[in-house]
Amino acid sequence: MAKLRLERLKPLVALAAFLFLWWILPAGVKSFTRLTFAEFHAPAWLVTAKIDQLSEFWVARNHSKIDLLETGRDLARTNARYQVMAQRYQSLQEEITRLENLLTLPPQREYHHEIARVIRRDLNVWWQHLLIRKGRDYQIPVGAAVIFSGGVVGRVVEVYAYTSRVELITSPRFRMAASFEGDSRPVVYQGRIQSGFVSPRGEVSDVPQDLLTTSRNPLNLISTHLGGTFPAGLKIGTVPWLAPGSTGIFQTGAVELDERLHALKEVTVLIPLISNEFNRDAN
Amino acid sequence: MPIDSRIFVFFGANVLLFYLAQLVNNSLSALGLYLLFLGPMIVMPGLYLRLRSAFICILLTGLWIDAACPVPFGLFTLTFLGAGTLTGMLRHRLRPRQSYHPYILTHLFNAGCIFILTISKGLGNYFALELWIQTIITLTISSLCLIFLAPWFFRFQRMLIELFQLDPEPEDLPIR
Repeated sequence: MAKLRLERLKPLVALAAFLFLWWILPAGVKSFTRLTFAEFHAPAWLVTAKIDQLSEFWVARNHSKIDLLETGRDLARTNARYQVMAQRYQSLQEEITRLENLLTLPPQREYHHEIARVIRRDLNVWWQHLLIRKGRDYQIPVGAAVIFSGGVVGRVVEVYAYTSRVELITSPRFRMAASFEGDSRPVVYQGRIQSGFVSPRGEVSDVPQDLLTTSRNPLNLISTHLGGTFPAGLKIGTVPWLAPGSTGIFQTGAVELDERLHALKEVTVLIPLISNEFNRDAN
Repeated sequence: MPIDSRIFVFFGANVLLFYLAQLVNNSLSALGLYLLFLGPMIVMPGLYLRLRSAFICILLTGLWIDAACPVPFGLFTLTFLGAGTLTGMLRHRLRPRQSYHPYILTHLFNAGCIFILTISKGLGNYFALELWIQTIITLTISSLCLIFLAPWFFRFQRMLIELFQLDPEPEDLPIR
């Protein structure tokens, strides 16, 4: 009888032993185990992304030649416009360099743009993450800024061999320095818990009292170079209202973000070039 | 004592379930909905396998989920092992076949996982109403889907066991 009772406690003893082992296990071993298991996930998602790409290719193949000709014509026009803009950009860049030399200013941070496909969107109340199809194989660093045509997407938080995990700006743990368009004073942007069926939102705090906004003419919130991660001037969202904060000194408000954030297919990772140069110098 | 081959069947089925759920969540992301199906992963190994084999299977599943989610490493491993231990201690009272026991356990474990996740990741936001509203929405939708998914998943696991010509009966149970 006593033996039978002890037999029933066996699972509990096993669990207690495992908890003790887990507790004394060095952090390095846990980290290695996590990385090993995480790398096993990547092939499945890479295959899924390839299959998606293949299906898109076959859908595109079904378009008529007329559609393709029209698309080609539109693309040629867009290309022509971008060529003109590239020339303008070049001349502006030369002007900036000239002024920097004239005023002996430190050079602006340069980035290498790495375009990556989103292979998984992991968006819920607990975290807001994307998995992209480029990792250490493309020298993606942890902490790199991620952007898209609508502005800021987020920041790289984990890098694996062939994939990277990006924390979206909607994530409650995401914070960055920001400023309003036409006003250089820094404010703080923070993500918040998202509600379902509504457009993504964030929060802005530490806004000076003299700034006013209305839902008809909302203020644009943009990135600054202060955080060191993002280049200045990238759109974060719009702020339709501001209210006095808990301290009474500053204002806080909601930030309406781009609706495309939760349906992204491609993003651009900004890999800082200066840090690489520093690393090279250090080596 | 050799390792029970059914560990790999149950673990493979768990990996497949997790992958399919992630695919669905990827498609639902624009709607702001999320499904979490972690409950069914613990039940069958806990009810069918001996303690050691069940422990290995649940440990592997927990580590797999932990590596895939941005949670403190070990959260699901330890939660799953806790749930597995509970199943192991109650298994002589539970019927793994032709009863509602596995389904009830599935729902309980799934709700437990969602609750633990909210406690772990919602730190600093416990007073935010949105956190609890979204958690309840996730729990409700996941539970509704589990009503249909759990029977399919358990049948799928039994089918795999028969397909690989392994022992289709639970180990060492007084009730079969």
